[in-house]
Formats: sequence, structure tokens, C-alpha cells
Amino acid sequence: MAFKVTMPRLGWSMEVGTLAGWLKRDGDPVQAGEALFTVEGDKALQEVEALESGILRIPPDAPTPGQQLPVGALLAYIVQPGEPAPFEVAPSAQTAPESGHQQPAQLEGPASESVAGVPSERNRLPSISPRARRVASELGVEWRWLKGSGRSGRIVERDVRLAAERQAVPRVSPLARRLAGELGVDVAELAAQQPGKRVQRADVEAAARQPTREAPVGVVGIAGQVLPVSDIRRLIAQRMVESAHSTAAVTLTTDADASQLVALREQLKATLEPRGRLVPGYTEMLVRLTGLALQEHPLLNAFWANDEIIVADAIHIGVAVDTEAGLLAPVVRDVPHKSLEEIARELEALVEKARARRLAPEEMQGGTFTLTNLGMYGVDAFTPIINAPQSAILGVGRIFSRPWVRNGEVVACPIVALSLTFDHRVVDGGPAARFLNTVREFVEQPYLWLTR
Amino acid sequence: MRELTFVEAAREGLAEEMARDGRVFVVGEGIGARGGNFNTTLGLYELYGEERLRDTPISERGFTTLCTGAAATGSRPIVDFMFIDFLTDAFGDLFNQTAKLQWMSNGRLKMPIVLRGCIGVAPQFGAHHSGNYYPFFVHIPGFRVVVPTTPADAKGLLKTAIRCDDPVLFLEHKALLNLKGPVPDGEYLIPFGQATVARQGQHVTVVGIAYMVKEALRAAEQLAAEGISVEVIDPRTLAPLDMDTILASVHKTGRLLIVDEDYAPCGMAAEIAMQVMERGFDDLDAPVQRLNGAFIPAPYSDAFAPGLVPDAASIAAAIRQLLAE
Repeated sequence: MAFKVTMPRLGWSMEVGTLAGWLKRDGDPVQAGEALFTVEGDKALQEVEALESGILRIPPDAPTPGQQLPVGALLAYIVQPGEPAPFEVAPSAQTAPESGHQQPAQLEGPASESVAGVPSERNRLPSISPRARRVASELGVEWRWLKGSGRSGRIVERDVRLAAERQAVPRVSPLARRLAGELGVDVAELAAQQPGKRVQRADVEAAARQPTREAPVGVVGIAGQVLPVSDIRRLIAQRMVESAHSTAAVTLTTDADASQLVALREQLKATLEPRGRLVPGYTEMLVRLTGLALQEHPLLNAFWANDEIIVADAIHIGVAVDTEAGLLAPVVRDVPHKSLEEIARELEALVEKARARRLAPEEMQGGTFTLTNLGMYGVDAFTPIINAPQSAILGVGRIFSRPWVRNGEVVACPIVALSLTFDHRVVDGGPAARFLNTVREFVEQPYLWLTR
Repeated sequence: MRELTFVEAAREGLAEEMARDGRVFVVGEGIGARGGNFNTTLGLYELYGEERLRDTPISERGFTTLCTGAAATGSRPIVDFMFIDFLTDAFGDLFNQTAKLQWMSNGRLKMPIVLRGCIGVAPQFGAHHSGNYYPFFVHIPGFRVVVPTTPADAKGLLKTAIRCDDPVLFLEHKALLNLKGPVPDGEYLIPFGQATVARQGQHVTVVGIAYMVKEALRAAEQLAAEGISVEVIDPRTLAPLDMDTILASVHKTGRLLIVDEDYAPCGMAAEIAMQVMERGFDDLDAPVQRLNGAFIPAPYSDAFAPGLVPDAASIAAAIRQLLAE
């Protein structure tokens, strides 16, 4: 029985994925649970495991690494030893395998397909002893793909522990391995230093960043220390360039009178803090009011995709977070339906995860708009780059007291600069400016939130 | 530490309790001047005479019920059945009176009666002299059931049984009677409901009932040479049953074999397995296994002895199978 290996859906909104590379070659034996290939994710390369044991057969017309493919696209087959691959059998004897390019692979039937990364609809799950199931959940082992060594094929504790060990021990991501080779870092040593954890680029970079290292001469003839480009850095670079080259980006700025916003914050602090409740900060307030503004200006919550403009149904706002590893934008979902406190709580958790590099791919995907706050660094107006494939991004500067004219008089007033970069393909200056105006209104008159 | 046989140790306990409490007396066939068919009362008749060592006719129902009345009216009888199979003659009154009088009198009547006798299969004892029957008593509210396997345990548990105000079945496996073992000096009692771990192990838990503990230990010794580490548990009392010790062991090993020479249906293994299911399901790496005696009345002929009840070899085989599960 030949099992199909297909592009997995790695995040709930993932429609397409880029095959990054194969970790096994055509003809290699594979064990269920072994890493088979990598897929480019948002910020990392994701290793995808084989769900079946057998021999990997990659069709000659299979997608090549670097190709973007729809979820479900056929990549390869896993056959039993001695079994010919479907593409080796005479075409008249069976249906031709899908090329996988333009059409997603059809799910044939329950027992004949194993979709990598997604639990296949098997007729029967393997049996597992209660103890093994308990240990599997303790150790985070996905037991459904294990082969049991119990007499009746039952998965028992030792099978789970072996799988856990396999997961734990020589886990070095392909990039880390390559990087380590380039930088002369001993991967095995690194792995030993953190048993059970996968060695990633960051670990290799950290190890490489030793003071005693000689600075190699750069390509351009300039001497200097070569910083290894982390995977996140590479991806950020790629997406920034993509965004800059594909969008028609225009930035509008305005200054908003933040005195009411500041007063609101003070009031919330005074009331909630003594009660031990979470006090919302400016970022969450901005997330909330931006969400409200987007409800009134849906074109700013849209996507340019293949000659079409898709206005998103829901409003999910990504918030730019500066982490050691680089810029990450975890997404707060469904903003208009969440209270300020809920948003604050969620954001707190997401930021912590982002800093700890524990964000799941789903938590960084699916944003329809992005907010970036550089106020804490003393920045006023700036030109944020759109977070593709979104069509707008709002930059927020610092809130600080400046001379301001109110009722003909010069007063000291807390002012905040708002910078909106929008994609001119999707929306024109007028509508964009109207959106920005609404945002400013919500900043200056927070009581308006109550009516939305 | 001094070494005594099982019988000697139990008798020492009996002697101590009879000396301590004048209300303790023994009733049974041949337990008087003869000192008991299995020497259970040897030497006591000389000390206490007919008053406290009373020979009886072959009338188990009669003297058992008589002792039930004696217990209910303030004395502390020990009924020595010789072979526990003979106790079956008194089942009716045991289950309906002895077991229930405390409840039916709303606690005004106590039932400090010890019912002791030999159990188990041994060569050529035949169908009427090889019974175990403990599930019957474990199944009825009110009875305590004690199955010691070592001389030290026999003494300590018999003393506790004699001091207990509830009816106690004190069951001594025939194959253990002459086994020697260390017995501590001085006064000691062993509480009911406390199992011992007769041998520590990692890979599998074996619970042995009565004499089967010995055979399980022999099997464990054999398997140790093969790198298999067997934990052997001796429950010592079946009612109350120390499930905590058994569960802790199953938590450690994940596999349980219960060895009981008594018949399988509705037996101790079934009870233990079910309790492990109820309380330790997630610790099980394999189904609980049981090994029981053949489901036939014990044949008289020696030719049928092999395979009649579990032994070290069959226990070892069962353990190997269980590990492959």
C-alpha cells in the first residue's frame, strides 16, 4: 500500500506552503516519526514527520524545494519494501498520480492515505496501553504514529519512551546543522548541553559568537565580524523586501491630542490597581480603538491577492514585538469582540511567549492589520513597512507633552504621532486618511468607544 | 534471631495469648491431649487442661455455633478445624449468625472468634482436604481473612486475630507448616491490612496468595538470572486487603500477575485485578494476568499433581509472557 506524502496544513489559515527541502532521499527507508522534509513557516523552518514507515519514493515530477504549493499537494509516496511506487506502474494499470502543482491532491479513502502532519482518517487507531498513553501525554509524544511492540501490536510504555528519546536526543534543525558547519560549532556538544531540547540556529549563533573568534574577511573586502544570519532575520529580510517591492506604500501621519487617553489610563489605573485587576496599557487601548476604527473602514482591513481585493470578515490585529531574536508580530484575534481587559491579558501572554520564542505558528498567522508602537523608544512619526499580505499598518509614537494650541491658546498637551502606511493598490489616500482620522478621533475622544 | 517453624511460631503466639487472657480457649477435633493433628496446640493441654482445650466430636456445625454463642457471651474461642474444608459444614451458621450478630444486635454483641485451619493443595490430600475457600469469606461483610506465609507473620497475625473482636479466618497453608523462618523475640503484633513486599523488583509485580508467595519468590530468583526483575508482594491478609501496596507496585512496574492456587472464578485475583482497574488503570502497560489452580476438585493420585496448581516454572513462564504483552 503506497501512502501519499502531501503538503500539510501547519496553521489554521494556511492555504499554501513552500517546500523547503527533503531530509531523506528517494529510496531511503523511513520510520514513522522521523523528520521527512521541511516547510517554510513564518519565522522558522518546520520539520514534518513521516507518518508511515517504509521506503520514500519521490516522483520524478514531484515539486522541487522552493516551490510554493497548496496544502494537500502531493510530494512523494511511502511504499513498503519491494513495492513499486505508483509512478512506476504502467499508467493504464492505475490512476495517474497528481502533479501536485495546480490541483490539491484528492483524499482517496480512509486507509490509503497518510497526510503528513494531519491525522489521517484511519479505520482503526493502534491500541495502546493505559500506562503508555499516560506516559505519552507526560512526555509530549504523539503516539498515534508509533508501532507497538506489544504482542497484539499494542503500543506499550517502552515504545513511547523510545519515541520520546528519539525526539529528544539528536534533534538539530537542518539550518542549525548547516550553520554549525559553516561556523565551526560542535553541534553534538550543544545538544549535550541542553538534553531534550532541539538545537536551533540561535544556539549555534550564540556558540559562534565567542570573543576569541577571528573575524573573517567579508566578501566586499571589508574586515569585520560576520554575524550569522538567524533564520528569523533571514525571513524578516525577505518579507520586508517583498513588502517594499510589491506594495505601493504611502505613509500618512498625524498628531493626536492624547490628553483624554492619558486621563483614561490614569483613571483605569486608579480604580483597577487597588482591586488587583489588570490595568490596560496604551498598546492594548490602541489595539482596541484601531479595531473599532477598522470596523468603520473595512478597506484598511483587506488583502491584495491575485488581482482581487479581499476584505477580511474578522479583524485580527498583529502587534509588533521587539525580541532578541528579531521582530515578531503575534496576533490578537477578533479584536472588536474582545473587551479591553481581554485584549490586555491576551497581549501580555503573547508578548511573553514571543520573548521566550515560544510562539506557535498559528499565533503569528492570520493577522488582518498590524500595530507597531515605537513610542517607548522616543520615536514620533515614522514609516512602518506593511506586514504583507496585509494592506495597512499603524505606527504609534511616544506620548509626550508638547506645546499645542487649544481654543486659541498655547498649552502643554500630551501628543502622540500616528503614522499609517497603506498599500495604494488596495485603497487610495482619501479613504486611508479618513481611517486615520477616525483613529485620531478615538484617541482624542475615548468615550466614543462606548458607542461602537 | 531464632528460627522456628510456622507451626511453632503460631503456637507460641497462641500460648502467649492464652496466658495473657483467661477467656481464650480452643475447641476442635484432637486439639486437647493430642495437641492437634498439626501440633497446633502441642503442650497447652498440660498447662490449661480440659477447661480451655476442649476436644470435640466430628460436628463442625455444632461446635462452631456453640463457639459463636460463647463469643457473643463474653469469651474468646478459637475453633481449630484442622482442615478448613471441614468448616464448610458450619457455613450456614457462620454466614448467618457469626458474621451478622454484631450488626443485628446493634453492636451489643461482639464476635471475638478465631476460625483456624489448614488450606491448600499438597500431595495426596485429595478433594476433601485441599480446599482454600477464602473468597467465600472475603465476600461476606464481617469476616477478616488472614493468610500468613512466614513463621514471624504467623505468630504476629495470630495474636492480632485472637485480640480482634471480629470473626477471623486464620488460614495456614499445609505446605508452609514445617517451613522454618526467623521469629523476633518479645511481644509483637502485626496489624491486618498490611502487605509486605517480599522481594523488590522493577519489571513486573507478582501478588502471591499464601503458599504461592514462596513459589513466586522461587520464580523471581530464576528470572533474576535472565535480567528480569520481579517484585513479589505478600498481602498477608485478604480482608482487609492492602491495595495501596499493590497499587504502588503496579505504578512502578506497569504489569501485574496474580498467583493464587485457588480456583479462578470470582477469586482473589479477579478482585485484585478489578481494584487495580478501578484505581490504577493508567498505570497498566498490559492487561492484568492471573494464574490459578486447575478448576477441578483436587485429585488424590500423585500422578495428577504436576500442573494442578501454579509452581515456580509456570509462574516464570507467565511472567515472561506478561513482559511480552
